[in-house]
Order: sequence, then structure tokens, then C-alpha cells
Amino acid sequence: MKQIQPRQNYLGAGGWVWAGNYKLERYLYLLHRVTGLGILLFGLIHLTMTTFFRIQGQDVWEATMTLLHNPWFKVGEYLVAVAFVYHALNGLRLILQELGFVLGKPTPPIYPYKDALRKKRPWTMAMVAVIVILALVFLFDFTIGGW
Amino acid sequence: MTEGSPKQVTFKVQRYDPEQDNSPHLQEFAVPSSRGMTVLDGLLYIKENLDSTLAFRTSCRMAICGSCGMLINNYPHLACHTQIEEFNSNTLTIKPLPNQPIIKDLVADLVPMFNVHKSIKPYIIREDAGEVQNPTAEFSQLPQELDAFLQFTYCIKCGICVSACPTSASDKLFLGPQAMAQCYRYCADSRDDGQRERFSVVGTDHGVWRCHLAAACSEACPKGLDPALAIQLLKRRLASQALGLGKKQSPSPVVSPPTETKPKVPFPEFTVKGSQ
Amino acid sequence: MWRTRLHLLHMLTGILIAVLLGTHVVIQHLDAILGFFGIDATEPTAWQSMIARASQGIWAGLYIALLAFVLYHALYGLRGVILEVTPSAKTERIITWSFIIIGIIAFIWGAYVPVALLSS
Repeated sequence: MKQIQPRQNYLGAGGWVWAGNYKLERYLYLLHRVTGLGILLFGLIHLTMTTFFRIQGQDVWEATMTLLHNPWFKVGEYLVAVAFVYHALNGLRLILQELGFVLGKPTPPIYPYKDALRKKRPWTMAMVAVIVILALVFLFDFTIGGW
Repeated sequence: MTEGSPKQVTFKVQRYDPEQDNSPHLQEFAVPSSRGMTVLDGLLYIKENLDSTLAFRTSCRMAICGSCGMLINNYPHLACHTQIEEFNSNTLTIKPLPNQPIIKDLVADLVPMFNVHKSIKPYIIREDAGEVQNPTAEFSQLPQELDAFLQFTYCIKCGICVSACPTSASDKLFLGPQAMAQCYRYCADSRDDGQRERFSVVGTDHGVWRCHLAAACSEACPKGLDPALAIQLLKRRLASQALGLGKKQSPSPVVSPPTETKPKVPFPEFTVKGSQ
Repeated sequence: MWRTRLHLLHMLTGILIAVLLGTHVVIQHLDAILGFFGIDATEPTAWQSMIARASQGIWAGLYIALLAFVLYHALYGLRGVILEVTPSAKTERIITWSFIIIGIIAFIWGAYVPVALLSS
């Protein structure tokens, strides 16, 4: 009798984005990854600018700066700043939780089950609130505070 | 007790016959469901009355054997433990658990998960192996020491956490939350001394450090095990050992034989005449 | 064990970047708000203020340190993301070594510029 191979059923990298109706922390993980990659791409451009263009002298530098004061670039810059704020604060939360500092002790599972991260969700929501406040502060400075 | 008249619920079940189909497809069934019916009851109704070729696993029907894990309306559940009414919908979409290979219809191949589980050495490892094989007395363990890992002993190996994990979705070599939580369960057991051996399995490129705390595993676990907590505590142990912090604790000793003998209780009188 | 140490270094550089890059972003962007606090940071991207910073050793040192931390953190993180789509073992080795080489080259080039501007 022919041996039938089981069919592979991996979600693949799409499974990072959507695998079901999960809750907050899974999307914080996704956003952490997206912001990290976004900052990496920005960082490549930024590194090029502050090395190649800076060392070529004042004229090249000021020409670059005038180009970058275009509103479209400013929107991108704002997004990168907010991405950095999110990635940094979420990263600090991850460091504290991954080393098990703030998660508490194992407790016997009594229905309805509350896992350790769910119990600490108020702190996570507070972190999200701080990120939103800082994003608004940056928005104020980018718009009203002058380009 | 009135159950209400049964209403028709549409079960969209993923079918896949490896001998005939090229790819899986959804098949619809109309199942009369009433209050108190579980999804497993619905599947059994389909198998008994509508299509007996439907394949799925079931055994205990009380959420203790871990056989009936399935993706129901895009979330992994145990079919025996999930009421049809809790979805508040007339359509249920039932698929096999993702991130495990499919054998047929709703049957997922859990053998790869069991092999990974074996690779983290899920047994007590001690230097006095002779004592483990031929015990002379029990190992002493305080209730507080038991509480440090008791929550993680309730794993029924259903595979739902591995289906929920985003890293398991793309990384075929990732150990998965089930194996790593059980690794912590043994490392945290005060009777065990095999932490170093397990660290070489778990502290690799596709081990503990590829967990990014999405915590979908703990959210989906049907037994409230919290594998995410176990993995973070395992990371803490790895970090302490990498930095050289933390006291070295020797494993639980064997209980010493009792020094006082209890007073002998006299044999009671026979109560039924003529039975001796 | 060294993989655990690499990851702990990832966490440590993360914290250091949060501090250094945080000051960098605040100085570069939040001029209006810093003005409220009395810190004069007008037009940080103008040539004069940029050159003024570049001639001070402390800024050059901080930028070089920030560059080192960012390169390590970013390349280790990107390597983790790539490893999670399970390439073969040979691809994993190639990726790891090429990231190490890219990191070293980028650091040498990126550190050369502040040092060159410092002495000019």
C-alpha cells in the first residue's frame, strides 16, 4: 500500500500577521516587528546621509536639508519618530517580561483561566497610553512647532 | 428542562482526501443544534447521519485527552469543549489545526510535535540514576516547590498552542511553546538536575530566543497552562546561567527512612461470625 | 550559551539605544518643546549647529557609540527575522557571516566620518 505523505499546513510568514482572532499582545508583537524593519530601512538612508553628504561640505548638506524639508519627507520623518517611540517603549516592556521580572508566579489554573500576561494587561495598556501621548507631543512639534 | 427547538447551523468543514484531492476544500453540512451541543456533537451527527467518510479525532469528550483540537471560526479550540451556541452564529467553519501536517480531513499529524517534545528530555534527570530506576524511597518535595511548576504539568499535548504561535507558523525548526513549556516544567522540578542538558537543546537558534512574547499560546490553551509564562521563566534561567548568577541548587534528596516506628494497632474483632 | 549572551547583548543595546537615540530624536525634532524648558536648540539641522556639534569630542563619541549599538541591534534582529523563515543551515551560515561583515564595514565607515569632522 502506498505510503501517503501528510500535507504541509504551515501558515508561513502570513501567520505573523493573521492567524485568528487573537488579542492585544499578538498585535503588539507584529507592530514591534514592522516598526523595527521600518526603522532599519530609515537607518540605512540616514547613515548614508550623515556620512556621504555630511563629509562633502556645506553646499551638499544644505541642499540635502532643503530637499528633506519637503512636507512628504516630514510626514515620513514623523512616522519614523513615532515608530521609534513605539519600538523603544514596547521593547522595554518586552525586556522586563521576557526576563520574567514582572510576570508573577505560576498559579494553579482555575477556570476562567487568566494567563500571566492577561493579568498584567493594565500595565500594557498604560504603556500604550504613554506611546499615544508621546505621538501627540511629536505631532504638536512637527506641525505647530514649525518645520 | 427545555432546550428550545433545534435550529439549523451550517458546518463548513474542510475536507481533504489525500488519495483523491489535490487540495483541501470546504464542504457544507446542515446540523440541527440545540442548547448544550458541542461542536464535537455536531461533527458526530454529521458522521452518523450525513457523511460517514468525515475523519476527525475524538476520545474522552471532556477536554482531558487532547485529541479533538481544531480551528473553529478562525480560532483553535477543543471541539468537545466548545459549545455551538457560544459563537452566536449560524455558520461554523471548521478546519484542522494549522502548523501541523494534515493526514485527512480534520486529522492533523501530531507526531512531529511529539518528537520535538521528546527531544527536550521530558523526564527527571539526576546523577543518581540508579535511584530513579529502582527507587528505595520517595524524593522529598515541599508544597511550595511543587507550586513552582504545578501549573505546567497539566499539558494534554493537544497542539493548540503550536497552532497559535506566530513563530511556529513560519519556522519549521522552532521548538514550539509546548516543548519549551514542558522543558521549563522539568527544569523547575526540584527533583530534577538535568537543566544543563536541556539548555543545549533549548538555547539554540530556533529555540527559546525566537519567542517574541505574542502570548497567543497562553490565550488559546484550553487547560489554562500559560506556556508563555513558562517560556519567559525558562529564558530567565538561561540568562542567569549565561551571566553566572543564581545559586546552584542540588536536586531533592531521597526521604530518609522514618526513625520512630508507629505503635502497633491491635487487629480488630471480626464482625461477621464464621468468616475467619 | 553564547547564543543566550548574544541575545542578552541585544537587550542591553536596546536599552542603551533607547537612551541615546531618545536624546538624539528629542534634540533633533522637539525644538519648540525644548525651548519651553529653556534649552536653546534652534535649528539643529542647520550647518552651523551641526558643525558646532561635530567639533566637540563628546558628540562624536556618542554618535560612534550609538552607531555601534544600532548596527548590532538591527543586524541581530534582522538575522532573527530571516532565520524564522527557516532557510537551510547553509543559508543560515551565509546570512550570519555576511551580516557580521556588513556590520564591521558599516561601523568602520560610519565611525570614520565623525572622527574626520572632529579633526577638521
